[in-house]
Amino acid sequence: MARRHFPDMLLGLAPILMLIALWQVIVWSGTAPVALLPSPFSVFARFSAQLLRPEFHHEIAATLMRLFAGFAIAVVLGVSIGLAAAVKPVVDAVVKPLVRILAPVPKVALYPALLLTLGFDHASKISLVAADALFPILLATYYGASMVEQKLIWSAMAAGTPRAQIIWKIVLPASLPSILTGCRIGLVISSIVVFLAEMITSTDGLGHMLVQAARTFQTVDMFVPLITISLLGLILNAALHLLRRYLLKGFAEI
Amino acid sequence: MMWLSRLLTPLAPLLACIGLLCVWQAASLALDTGSFPTALEALRAIPDILGDRGSLINILASLRRMAIGLALAVLIAIPLGLLMGRSRNVAAFFNPLLMVIYPVPKAALMPVIMLWLGVGDVSKTLVIFLGVSLPIIYHSFQGARAVEEKMLWSGAAMGMSASRRMLRIVLPAALPEILTGCRTGLVLALITMITSEMIARQSGAGNILFNAMDMAQYDTVFAMILIVGAMGIILDAAFERLRAMLVRWSDAGRAIPLSYS
Repeated sequence: MARRHFPDMLLGLAPILMLIALWQVIVWSGTAPVALLPSPFSVFARFSAQLLRPEFHHEIAATLMRLFAGFAIAVVLGVSIGLAAAVKPVVDAVVKPLVRILAPVPKVALYPALLLTLGFDHASKISLVAADALFPILLATYYGASMVEQKLIWSAMAAGTPRAQIIWKIVLPASLPSILTGCRIGLVISSIVVFLAEMITSTDGLGHMLVQAARTFQTVDMFVPLITISLLGLILNAALHLLRRYLLKGFAEI
Repeated sequence: MMWLSRLLTPLAPLLACIGLLCVWQAASLALDTGSFPTALEALRAIPDILGDRGSLINILASLRRMAIGLALAVLIAIPLGLLMGRSRNVAAFFNPLLMVIYPVPKAALMPVIMLWLGVGDVSKTLVIFLGVSLPIIYHSFQGARAVEEKMLWSGAAMGMSASRRMLRIVLPAALPEILTGCRTGLVLALITMITSEMIARQSGAGNILFNAMDMAQYDTVFAMILIVGAMGIILDAAFERLRAMLVRWSDAGRAIPLSYS
């Protein structure tokens, strides 16, 4: 297996390296003025210089705080509403039409309304992130919990599990793979949305850095937050993947 | 009871809409601040916006950009996704690149792209194209990977060339999954459309929304939110109809794809 994976990785690195090489060639050829397209070296140099500055850590921390707060709210609400709807037909009858209506609504359009009602501080950004990440998690939980085999529930009841505990002991663990898939989608969406919210109105965070750089035409500084958010997304994704491997140890396939 | 539930089921989404509007009305009456108009005030502002020639042209321009971006994405993303699904090497080649691009908010590229291509239609359409492509590639990839090997072998045994197998076997077999990707892409296109116009304030629905916000015309803000929301719901419902018609033979898919937003 390891032998097979190694060339795959090289093959995967190729387009990324080619893109960076193409970028450098365009800069060298002089077709694009440096003011519009800085060289990749200067961008990466600025990025590593920024990594050592405490101000930059502060921006990343602000973004991450909003991201995690919104994501956590979405996970708690999504999983509990999803489970409740899958188990109780009454809840299902109320939740299903609401989700059908609200899921296809572009949530960014709600942002002005959130600003007007919750103010320009953290609350409006966190609720936008939560609103956007909620639906994939809710739906994944709902589908996962509806797919739980009836036989498992019957066996648990036959073994004497009280009705109230079945949802915690059977339904939740059995739908965990699906829930984690939903969380993964929700996490990527959270990182996208938190950036956008910061771009629209903010005084700190990575999105604000980008807008600030764009206003002053500091092209090199515009690329730094973009690289940062991409790396953050990759790191968070990898962390969730490890968590998934740990949580789903007993499952046949991941 | 039976007739009641049969009557209620098709009406449920409508009832949900009315319920949400009632909650809004009650909340704004309870809060009673100048910046949070009631649902009725917002609904009353809608005909003014749609009746105004300038705003109508703006909204139609938005929809045109969205349609072009989406069409381009469909044309490029589906073949790429299918190729990735059928060839290990193509998949290994593109996967890491797509993973790096995925968490970057496409609308955040807008300031950079604006420097190169200006604030006009080209950069907005390009951003929509980028935003929509990823889910379509991903779903086409998943769909093509799940095609049964045996069908391809039979096709090959019957003397079909590789490109014909792709067109006659892989494409139809992956179609349900591809259309799920397109449905997600449609909603994403609407989102990217709004955000790109919000950043490059020049024309479009997002421009009206955020300009009204800056000028404190809160009725217009909330009316625009309703209009954009209705666009999302209507486009999604229409596409779902089309999807159901095209893949009537397959299992009923999930009512709502997971990867919205």
